[in-house]
Amino acid sequence: MAVRRPYVRPMAGWWRRNPFYIFYMLREATSVFVALYALQLLYGLYTLAVGEAAFDAWLVSLRHPLFLVFHGVALAAALLHAFTWFNVAPKAMPVLYLGSHRVADRTLVWAQYLIFAVISVAILGVVLGG
Amino acid sequence: MQIVQTDVVIVGGGGAGLRAAIAVAEADPDLNVSLISKVVPMRSHTVAAEGGSAGVVQTEDSLDSHFYDTVAGGDWLCEQPVVDYFVANCTREMVQLEHWGCPWSRKDDGDINVRNFGGMSTARTWFAADKSGFHILHTLFQTSLKYASVHRFDEFFCLDLIVVDGRCQGIVAIEVATGEFFRFEARAVIFATGGAGRVYPCNTNAGISTGDGMGIAFRHGVALRDMEFVQYHPTALPGSGLLMTEGCRGEGGYLVNKDGYRYLQDYGLGPVDPSPRPKAMELGPRDKVSQAFWHEDRQGRTLETPLGTAVHLDLRHLGRAKLLERLPMICEMAETFLGIDPAEAPIPVRPAVHYTMGGIWTDGDTATNLPGLFAAGECSSVGIHGANRLGSNSLAEIVVFGKVAGEQAARAARAAPAIDARATTHEAEASMQSALALLGQDGDQRLADLRDTMQTAMENGVGIYRSAEGMQTACQTLEKVRNDYSRVRLDDKSRAFNTEWLTVIELGFTLDVARAMAYSALQRTESRGAHQRLDGYEKRDDEHFLKHSLAYAVADAPPRIDYEGVVITKLPPAERVYGGMARQEGH
Amino acid sequence: MATHDEIEIEVLRYHPETDSEPSYRTYRVPFAHETSVLQGLQYIKDRLDGSLTFRWSCRMAICGSCGMMINGVPNLTCSAFLREYHPGKLRIEPLAHLPIERDLAVDQTDFLEKLASIQPYIIPAESKAVDEGPFTQTPAQRERFYQYSECINCLLCYAACPQYGLDSGFLGPAALALLHRYNSDSRDVGKADRMPIVNAQEGVWACTLVGYCSEVCPKGVDPASAVNRNKVISTLDYFFRFMAPRGASE
Ligand SMILES: Cc1cc2nc3c(=O)[nH]c(=O)nc-3n(C[C@H](O)[C@H](O)[C@H](O)COP(=O)(O)OP(=O)(O)OC[C@H]3O[C@@H](n4cnc5c(N)ncnc54)[C@H](O)[C@@H]3O)c2cc1C
Ligand code: SF4
Ligand code: FES
Repeated sequence: MAVRRPYVRPMAGWWRRNPFYIFYMLREATSVFVALYALQLLYGLYTLAVGEAAFDAWLVSLRHPLFLVFHGVALAAALLHAFTWFNVAPKAMPVLYLGSHRVADRTLVWAQYLIFAVISVAILGVVLGG
Repeated sequence: MQIVQTDVVIVGGGGAGLRAAIAVAEADPDLNVSLISKVVPMRSHTVAAEGGSAGVVQTEDSLDSHFYDTVAGGDWLCEQPVVDYFVANCTREMVQLEHWGCPWSRKDDGDINVRNFGGMSTARTWFAADKSGFHILHTLFQTSLKYASVHRFDEFFCLDLIVVDGRCQGIVAIEVATGEFFRFEARAVIFATGGAGRVYPCNTNAGISTGDGMGIAFRHGVALRDMEFVQYHPTALPGSGLLMTEGCRGEGGYLVNKDGYRYLQDYGLGPVDPSPRPKAMELGPRDKVSQAFWHEDRQGRTLETPLGTAVHLDLRHLGRAKLLERLPMICEMAETFLGIDPAEAPIPVRPAVHYTMGGIWTDGDTATNLPGLFAAGECSSVGIHGANRLGSNSLAEIVVFGKVAGEQAARAARAAPAIDARATTHEAEASMQSALALLGQDGDQRLADLRDTMQTAMENGVGIYRSAEGMQTACQTLEKVRNDYSRVRLDDKSRAFNTEWLTVIELGFTLDVARAMAYSALQRTESRGAHQRLDGYEKRDDEHFLKHSLAYAVADAPPRIDYEGVVITKLPPAERVYGGMARQEGH
Repeated sequence: MATHDEIEIEVLRYHPETDSEPSYRTYRVPFAHETSVLQGLQYIKDRLDGSLTFRWSCRMAICGSCGMMINGVPNLTCSAFLREYHPGKLRIEPLAHLPIERDLAVDQTDFLEKLASIQPYIIPAESKAVDEGPFTQTPAQRERFYQYSECINCLLCYAACPQYGLDSGFLGPAALALLHRYNSDSRDVGKADRMPIVNAQEGVWACTLVGYCSEVCPKGVDPASAVNRNKVISTLDYFFRFMAPRGASE
């Protein structure tokens, strides 16, 4: 009697099979840099609690070329992270309507950039102005 | 061979089969239903229907008007009591589908919206954008999952009926994935196997529309009725035959020839109005609109395209917003298959084979002349389409008569005598052996060649316009193909998922259907509806041919063609009138 | 078919009766401007090798039968065209992440069982007789679920979803989109019955928002949006149950 013998293909190395997956893995990897940056910031706060000398030492250490490189990479990662999440955010939100018209995903994505820009400018204003 | 004991077997998971399954389950949940389909139900051809389904809803509309349109549209070859039942039950079934979740398009106030369709005297076609069949099928399929008594056998290919003592007692099927044979013992069987557009080379149908049920029933002595009436849909894409729904014209689309002229006015369908007038111009019945193309083509007023001559379906004046709302799939298809934006450019179209008006003879209750066998949907001829089906009547038909078939089969199953297991085994073994023989046979014929020869012969000889000579040639070719059939050699001799093997079995059925069509056509010496002759029989001849044809299989000889009277109750035969003189709604 | 050119098509073959694992075979196929990939495969079957196995039916991108991997990307072969790949070649494989039944035909039973499990039918507040006529549903109410009802069950999204490939317990994009379709229908009150399916480990939380499913969906269903909107809904559901443990949501 004939039997079914379906063949299941292996998944090993799946994320290399498609540029979309590689980008997805990159997006997931950005979280590592964001986490490291946060740890480092926490450490700064800790030095502030310990005393002025410790805090100054931390500030000096930040100017080390290795740290500068790290910050550059972390910034890039954070931007990529923001970019990818901005793109998918409309998928997680309830559908928005303006009157009887559905707000397009694209509009929502742009709205996030707008908000991002406004907040960034405001913070910059506070930092530079203050 | 494996054995499945069941109460009701339904072959076909399209709209008709699913509606029947639900009807059996609702009539009697204790009856075990086996739903057999060669494709997973939602892949069935019903999925491709675009335009919509008829059902009287508007206050100015009436059942009488739907009745009149259907009978006149069918050129009086309709069983009038059956049409009566049909029009009285369409709307009910549309509402039932709505309750089950079908996303019908709505008016602003939340009421059902309806559109115009060819040959209908007012708007009465329910639609779900231009994916009506898709939504009907998925609604029925998903709803059917609610009923525990319905057992699906997806991708099981029905090979034969089991007939013992003049009674249908089950079927033989092949499980596609394994090639294993199954015998289903049942006290009632419903065929809902769909149409047979694949008899022709250029058609709007899916690959599965090979007329299997018709072929199987025919071989068991069941009559195929009115097979000469094959509908050409006037607006299909050249080459592929993909359909541009009549809904395009229902929404106001124009048909123009190469001079940009709305030529239908020259064929008794005028006057020319800017917006759709029921039963006139582009909203004429399909037979007349397709025939007009043929004349335009002969007179050189069609456009040349790489895939054949065509006219233009012009939707530009409807505007992009309306096109995207009402005809989104048409926009998508035009873009994918032609690289055309219908809001910017006209779509080239030409007629292609679309629908088999005829089919397995049944009475008004879907019973065939073989006890225990019922038939519904496009594979059947219950008597409502006559010589020309009106668009949107067949989606309504599959649910109205699918339900009837389910209820009747449930009743028959409860009343049926016990099954003779020994005799059914014997019958089933015989069908299995002949199928296995096809697999093993040696020869010099290639499957695809036989298929192509059959299809070309039918297009050339039994097309939009016919003559005795052409039809005779077609018949001769079909007999030759039938001879060659026993010399087909398959590349694939294995059992598991052998689609080449199943295709050759299908071709056998399709070939029988083609023969029934060609011989029925040859012997109808008149012109009526979709059967138009050029050889001295250009007129309708009620005196001799207000009759259904009945094709019966004869061993090793062409089918025998018989005739049967048409039951006329309220509407005596008259001239079909379209265009400005046509009856409109409210009479 | 007005033939202009030839293209090489490499096909993954597997026969359950004879092969221990799949392997590739190459065919040369003539094609014209309008030849679809499906027609290319049909040419092979008709003329070169009748044993090549694949599913197809409608030829118009609506029945959902003909999904395959074309050069690694899930696609409907009836609406992809050979000219798009010329002068390169094509590699056609069965849909990824699904078991191969034979050659290009995959086993669809897992999806069919999942579809059945989500109660994909209207659960009305109270039963309404057909004679009472249709429910009222405004175009705006219809719009809330319509996109999700357009799923043709082609399974391209399953072939796109690595989470499903890694663990086929995951309900997956299309089944969740259809679940959301019924939950969002104004005629349906079955949401409470379906929430346990959404909340389960195999429900929305198995999704890590790769997002490729929506990218490959040929019908604009955007299953990723259904899954991720339901993460929010699932969280709220959890929260409310947490607030009112003996709440009515059971
Ligand atoms: C492109 C197109 C558009 C259309 N648009 C409209 C429209 O707008 N309005 C309208 O009213 N009508 C329309 N029609 C006609 C209408 O769609 C069909 O007549 C109707 O859907 C047929 O339904 P059915 O259930 O009889 O068969 P189908 O849906 O064709 O189903 C047949 C079933 O039988 C099964 N089957 C067949 N043979 C076997 C076998 N040997 N073993 C096992 N199973 C088998 C198949 O698997 C399938 O499940 C359209 C048709 C086409 C081609
Ligand atoms: S969601 Fe899209 S890709 Fe997934 S099965 Fe449905 S139609 Fe196909
Ligand atoms: S053949 Fe139906 S979707 Fe491609």
